[in-house]
Amino acid sequence: MVTDPSARSLPTRLAADTRLFYLLPVLALFVPLLTNPYTQFVVNLMLVYVLVAVGFNIVIGNLGQLAFANTAFFGIGAYATGLLMADAGLPFWAALIPGGAMGALAGFLASVTALRGIRLYYLAIVTLAFGELMRWIYVHADVITRGTDGLPVPMATVFGLALDSEVKKFYVFLAIATVVVKGTSNLLRSRVGRAIVAIKDNEFATASLGIPTARYIVLAFVWSGFVVGIAGGMFAVLIGRVVPDSFGLIELIFHFAMVMVGGFGSLAGSVLGAIVLTAVPEYFRSFPGLEEMFFGALLVLVLLFLPKGLASFFARYLPLFRQRFYRE
Amino acid sequence: MLSGIAQGAIYALVALSMTVVYRATTIVNFGHGDMVMAGAFVAYLLVVLQGLPFLPAAIAAVALLFVLGVAIQRGLIEPIKAGPHIGFAMMSIAVGYVLRGIARAGWGREVLPMPRVFDIPPIFVGDLILTGDAIAVIGVVAAFLIAFFVVFHWTRIGQVIQAVYQSERGAALVGINVSAFHSVMWGVGAAMAAIAGVLLAPITLLYPDLGANFLIRGFAAMTLGGFGSLGGAIAGGLLLGIAEQLLGFYVTTKLIDIAAYLVIIAVLILRPVGLFGKAAIVRV
Repeated sequence: MVTDPSARSLPTRLAADTRLFYLLPVLALFVPLLTNPYTQFVVNLMLVYVLVAVGFNIVIGNLGQLAFANTAFFGIGAYATGLLMADAGLPFWAALIPGGAMGALAGFLASVTALRGIRLYYLAIVTLAFGELMRWIYVHADVITRGTDGLPVPMATVFGLALDSEVKKFYVFLAIATVVVKGTSNLLRSRVGRAIVAIKDNEFATASLGIPTARYIVLAFVWSGFVVGIAGGMFAVLIGRVVPDSFGLIELIFHFAMVMVGGFGSLAGSVLGAIVLTAVPEYFRSFPGLEEMFFGALLVLVLLFLPKGLASFFARYLPLFRQRFYRE
Repeated sequence: MLSGIAQGAIYALVALSMTVVYRATTIVNFGHGDMVMAGAFVAYLLVVLQGLPFLPAAIAAVALLFVLGVAIQRGLIEPIKAGPHIGFAMMSIAVGYVLRGIARAGWGREVLPMPRVFDIPPIFVGDLILTGDAIAVIGVVAAFLIAFFVVFHWTRIGQVIQAVYQSERGAALVGINVSAFHSVMWGVGAAMAAIAGVLLAPITLLYPDLGANFLIRGFAAMTLGGFGSLGGAIAGGLLLGIAEQLLGFYVTTKLIDIAAYLVIIAVLILRPVGLFGKAAIVRV
C-alpha cells in the first residue's frame, strides 16, 4: 500500500479548519440580543434565503445546469406548507416536510426534462416557463390557493409552542437551516457530491467511469427541490400570507443574484450571498427601481471582476472558504 | 384573427432579433425583452415629453438601442469571452435588470398610455374589420422582413453574415473581423428589438415589466419554429400570435397568458428541434 503523507495531510488539515463552521450557528444563537422585531424579521428572512441559495446552487453551481425552476420549487413549498397548515390544520413541522417533499417532486419533474437531452438554453427556457406556469396556476386555481388575495397562513406551532414572535421563529428557523445546510454539506462531500461535480466538468467522461450520471442528475435536482421547498415552507410561516407575486421573475433574479454573488458551486458562498443580499434591499425600499439597478450592476461587476463570487475572494485569504470536495 | 397576426408579427420580430444575435454569437440574450421595453420607453419619452413627431422619435429610439447593443457587446460581453458560456446568459440577465430598474426609477408603478399614431380608419372587408393599428404593424414588419432577407441573401453584408454563421474561424481566415461583426450583430439585434418596442408603444400600455412577456413569447416563437432558424422564428411568432387569439376567443381569455409557456413545454418535450429546426444543433 502506498502511503503518501502529503495526500493524507491536506484533507486532514482542512477538516480541522472547517470545524470553525460549527461556531456559526452557536454564535447566531446570540443574535436576538442585538435585534428589534423588524431587524429580527430580516434576519429570519436571511435564514430562509440561505436555504434558497444553497438549494439553487446545487443545480446551477455544482451540477452546472441552467435550470431556473427555483421560484417554482420555492412557491410549491410555500403553498404546500401553507395549505396543509390552513386547510388540514397540521402543525408547522408536519406541514413543512410534505412542503419539502412537494418541492422535491417538482425537482424530479425538472430533472426529467434535463435527462431528455433538454440542456443549456433549452433547459433555461423550459424551466422559466415552468415557473411562470406555476404562478399562473396559483392565480387561477383560486378555489384552492385563494388566488391573488393570497393564502393566509395560521400561526405556526412547534410541539405545542406557538411561534408568536420573531425571536421564537428565529430559533426554529436556525435549527432547520443548520440541519439542512449541514446535510447538504455532507452530501456534497460524499461520493454523490463528487459525482455531481464530475458531471458538470464532463458528463461523458463521468459516465465512462461507470458512474450512473442520470441517477445523480435526478438526485441533485430532487435534493435542490427539497431544500428550496423547505425554504418555501419557512417563508410562508414567516410572511404569514402566500401571494402568487412572490414567485415571479423578479424573485428568480434575486435567487440567482445570491448564488452568483456568493459564488457558483460554493456552499459557504451561497450562505454568504444570501445573508448579504437579503440585507441590502431593505435599504432600497422607498426608491422604486433602485433595487433592480443595484442588483443588475452588482451582477455585472461580479461577472467582470469576480466571476467565482465572493467565496473565491475570501478563499484567497481564508482557507476555510476553499472548496473541499474537489481540487481545481 | 387579424389582431392575432399583428401580435404575431411583433413576436416574430422579437424572435427574429433574438435569433440574429444567437446565430451570430451563440449567446441567447435573456435581456432582450427589456430592450423591447427600452425601445418603447425611449419612443414614449421623445413623443410625449419632448413633443417630437412619431417617426423621428422612432428612428432615434432604434438608433439609440443600436448603440446600446454595440456598447453592451464591447464593454460587457467581450471581456468575459474566455469565461464559461453560462456567464453570457447571466450578463444578459444582469443588463436587462439594470434597464428595467432605470425604467422603474423613472416611472415607478405607473402604466403609461401613449397617444395613438397609426390613425388609419378601419377598413371593412365583408365581416372582417381591419383596424389601423393592425394594418400598420403588419405593414411595417412585412416591409422590414423583406428588406432583411434581401440584405441577407443578396448583398455582400449578407454573405459576410452567412460566412460567420457557418464558421467563425473560417470567416476570420478570409479576413472578416469577427469581433467587430459580433458587436454589430448585437447592435442589430437591439435595434430590431427597439423596432418591436416602437411599434408596440402606440398600441398598448407601457410598464417597466413588459419586457418579460416579450422575452418568453420570443422564446416560445423561436422554440416553435426551431431554435436558430431565421424563417422558423418568423413562422413561430405568427403562429403563436394567432394561437393566442384563437385560444382566447374560443376557449378562455385566461389561456392567453400561458399559451407561450404551454407551447415551449410541449414543443421541447415532443419535438425539441421545432417545426423547421435541424437536429444538427448542438445541445450540450
